[in-house]
Amino acid sequence: MRSDGGQLYTIEGFAAALIMISTAYLVVNATSVYTAGDTHINDMQLETLGTDALTVMGTPMNTTEYDTANSTLRMILEAPDRDVMFRTKFLELVNSSGTGPKQDIQFVANYTCRIDNSDSTIPPLQPLSSSSRSLTGGEHPVRVTKWVIVNTPCGNETTRDRAVLVEVLLWRD
Amino acid sequence: MLAMSDDSAVLSIDFLVGFTIFLLAFIWVLSIIPGLLIGLQAFTIDYDAVAYRTGVILVEDPGQKSTNETSWEIATFQQNYNKADVLRFGLAVSREDPNILSLDKVNRFFDNTTFNYPGDYHNRSIFGDYPYRFNISLKYIGSPESAKSIGEVLPEGYGYIRRFVKIKSMSNATIDGSNLTFLNNERFINGDNTTRTHIFSILLNNTDLIGEGSLVKDAAYKIIPGKESFMINLTYLNQTIVNAMNVSQENCFNISLNNTIVSDSTRTITFFDPIIDEVPLHMTTPQPVKRNVSILYNTTANRRGLNWEAPQITISLIFNLIPTGEPGCTMGSRFLNNTYTAPFDYDNNPNNVTQPQLRDAVVEVAVW
Repeated sequence: MRSDGGQLYTIEGFAAALIMISTAYLVVNATSVYTAGDTHINDMQLETLGTDALTVMGTPMNTTEYDTANSTLRMILEAPDRDVMFRTKFLELVNSSGTGPKQDIQFVANYTCRIDNSDSTIPPLQPLSSSSRSLTGGEHPVRVTKWVIVNTPCGNETTRDRAVLVEVLLWRD
Repeated sequence: MLAMSDDSAVLSIDFLVGFTIFLLAFIWVLSIIPGLLIGLQAFTIDYDAVAYRTGVILVEDPGQKSTNETSWEIATFQQNYNKADVLRFGLAVSREDPNILSLDKVNRFFDNTTFNYPGDYHNRSIFGDYPYRFNISLKYIGSPESAKSIGEVLPEGYGYIRRFVKIKSMSNATIDGSNLTFLNNERFINGDNTTRTHIFSILLNNTDLIGEGSLVKDAAYKIIPGKESFMINLTYLNQTIVNAMNVSQENCFNISLNNTIVSDSTRTITFFDPIIDEVPLHMTTPQPVKRNVSILYNTTANRRGLNWEAPQITISLIFNLIPTGEPGCTMGSRFLNNTYTAPFDYDNNPNNVTQPQLRDAVVEVAVW
């Protein structure tokens, strides 16, 4: 063949191949989209974690505790240094793992009790504990709760058995 | 004449090269298309969902046997253990107690001599047609014990779930031979100058332990001898050889454990596998005992031939005292023996029996 068309055939082959491969590369890389479903999964994992932690803390350890309706959570809420005790126990639980990597989960917790007298100056929300971080607003926390029967004072009311709502906000750092 | 014209139906080498490059690239791009579709399936979400499902099955369900029972971890009294009978793994003590796991189920689940990764675990806890790879682990929280685990080493990306649980530990009783005051008060030491054979019995009263009138209502705290491990330790047996004045006759006799029999009041079988002086034995002839005897009924203990649901189960240890021939010794002696009094009651009294305790642990399921 004497024409220079042969040269052109090869270049066209290369050009076509290059265009197809670069198109495929762009398409493959464009499909990894972070969907709403993904965030839902993360929230679900955190919620399960928090609910499990409160359940485990609120379960009596043996028949003696079971008979007296006692549990680790109740003992913590009734103790004078409940903030430190709750933080230690809760972080020990949520940050432990099996063969997976260590976790870094932060939380803010408080508990609410009902005040029967009409003194509105007493806030029903009792501070319970804070994590190593405070909530700045930029986090995406998940809320978990548990009702516990405790024998504590509430506001300026005397000590008696009452149901309190423990509320924990937790997020990944 | 020209060597080649445009209508000569002969392809040039250049054209062939160009076309081949084009075809190869085209085929390669085609082969990427299935991969593109996998990307659109968002498989990480699928992995997380499968891990969540497996986590729920393991932590909130007691599992299932082909006979529709939930105690898949132990052999029944009719037949030996057969893993083919296990339909679904589940580690919970009962359906009413999510997040409270049975120690026996946990031990059987992580026993890789019984079950093989991945087949046995995939069919009974992961499910689905896709050949998922996975790792399931359990670690006691705040304990130096390393994590129990089955499966492969975790890769870079995987779907996972972590569940916090309580693990119901084994109940056990220790009859301390050095506490002569207790043994004498309970009248557990008997015999006289002619007694050489001594029988010590332990009663497992199922009516009180698991019956309607049981003091413990929740399965998470009950002692269930037919379905769970339990252990009875007789310690410092040598110190219970005394004369009528409670003076030690230890030098006068060697202790021999002749036999251990277990009875459900209609049938009686022999227990062949006591632990004597910390050594597990398979006993077919009488064995010498220096100090301690333990009876451990765990998931591997043979439970055949006995109805463990019967109202009363009695475990009797038959000892023989063999004179050493020391001067000044009589032929018989007092020893741990409750034949003529009441058997030791393996019950819900924490003074007699260490009751099941719940320990914190974390279960982690990773799927990829």
